[in-house]
Amino acid sequence: MDMLLIAELSINGVFVGLMYALVAAGIVLIYKTSGIANLAQGALAMMGGYAAWAFATLAGLPIWLWLPAALVAMFFAGALLERLALRRMVGQPIIMVIMLTLGIEIMLRGILPGFFGSSVKRLDIGIPTTPLFVGELFLNRATLIGGAVSLATILLAILFFNSRLGIIMRAVSDDQTASWSVGIKVERAIALAWGLSAVMATIAGVLWGATQGVDWSLSLLLIKALAIAILGGLDSLPGVVIAGIIVGLAESLATGIVDPIVGGGTRDVVASVIIVLTLILRPHGLFGREHIERV
Amino acid sequence: MSLLTLNNIEVVYDSVFLAVKGVSIEVPDGGLVALLGANGAGKSTILKVISGLLKPERGLVTRGQVRFAGEDILALDPPERVRRGLVHVLEGRRVFEHLTPEENLLAATSMHRDRARIRQLVDEMFSLFPRLAERNKAKAGYLSGGEQQMLAIARALMTQPKLILLDEPSLGLAPFLVDEIFDTIRRINAESGTAVLLVEQNAVAALDVAQSAYLIEQGRIVMSGTAEVLKSNPDIQQAYLGGSSQVDYHAVKHYRRRKRWLA
Repeated sequence: MDMLLIAELSINGVFVGLMYALVAAGIVLIYKTSGIANLAQGALAMMGGYAAWAFATLAGLPIWLWLPAALVAMFFAGALLERLALRRMVGQPIIMVIMLTLGIEIMLRGILPGFFGSSVKRLDIGIPTTPLFVGELFLNRATLIGGAVSLATILLAILFFNSRLGIIMRAVSDDQTASWSVGIKVERAIALAWGLSAVMATIAGVLWGATQGVDWSLSLLLIKALAIAILGGLDSLPGVVIAGIIVGLAESLATGIVDPIVGGGTRDVVASVIIVLTLILRPHGLFGREHIERV
Repeated sequence: MSLLTLNNIEVVYDSVFLAVKGVSIEVPDGGLVALLGANGAGKSTILKVISGLLKPERGLVTRGQVRFAGEDILALDPPERVRRGLVHVLEGRRVFEHLTPEENLLAATSMHRDRARIRQLVDEMFSLFPRLAERNKAKAGYLSGGEQQMLAIARALMTQPKLILLDEPSLGLAPFLVDEIFDTIRRINAESGTAVLLVEQNAVAALDVAQSAYLIEQGRIVMSGTAEVLKSNPDIQQAYLGGSSQVDYHAVKHYRRRKRWLA
């Protein structure tokens, strides 16, 4: 086997994995605060991509304006989604809430391309398309930058969870009644989590939009993100980074090495195999929060 | 003037079960009042009426008023009531298990803006409960029952309350820890002038620290008065304080001794 090819696949895989991880981090953020697995995260990323495209192309803004505009708009979209849809479900069985988020995912997948047109939209964030040669390695510039930005965003999120506001949000995820009893505005904390999660989805949507264009298929990121979130442990941000790298690597190597043998199509199998295997072998994921039991 | 007044409160759970049947209670400024009674008497429900935590349990106040510091607070949501100065330490401690003790304390400061003041409050709590400072590396879920109870009380104090509602602080604790907890409660009440409304099954310990007490049975107040009066009441002694020390078994009647109030 060609070592150079493997090195190339690995490096690109790691950075693609980090870009997946950013979507997964949004799922973790909401799970960490409200205990709900948000299945609309892929659609939020797609929506973020469309929002960025709308501000950039329809409104014709320069990048230093359309990017913040898209992030702010999506923050409120996320918070509004929680306010209008999710908050009504308080006290309902958890499965109903998860089904609701899945419904939102499917609905957005239909509505947004229907509204903006289903052709692929180009989103330019100023990354040159020429590949980068490091020694003899042939690397994708957009992926490298995308992976680095994703990692930085996730690190910011980790820092955030250690701030006082972050502690309050973790308290909400631990015990909502107790949070209420010490004066935490639980509803507001959860709405904030949804807003921040939508912001992270938007960053991911923009990065992916810049590499593959904006269309409905951005929402398919949900599957990879779910695989990563489940492997990482659903409530661990560092877990998401590690799991993201694992999934990215596995996918990239599978495409590069197994595809020529079986004739293609392994890329999308990898994520689903990881979901199934994790759930069977280690349901809490690699870094999932342990259930505390005093002896 | 009294800090907290409950006037003729009625509570219905699930629209059918009348759990509290017209209860009126007063807690004076800086007072330490105990609410005694057996399981299911409605003690915890009354605390939840005051703190507003009844709603998540499908309970509803169908009659009566709750006035705190001269204001009607029944329409306020729980976080708003905490901001007015009343805080509820829930039964079973309910610390944030995956947070460290210090993070538990910080989580209760959402109403404070001043960072230096928050720091100072945390330090105060750690000097009040040195054991929490020692265990600050561990997640709160791994603390012992007594440590968790102290953390729950410290967490409530972080909100700087005028009134603290304590629900069964002695639940599941060893006797020497019960003494320690009650000693702490007395100190908090005496030193900072924080009023305390204490719900307890451990009537002996509660009547030792409280100034006055109410006795609740089946959702009604059946007796109230100063702690001394209640302690010396023969019915209370018989039913809640373990009776007199010598029992003459020849004189024991073959029917159950009736309480002298109607329940």
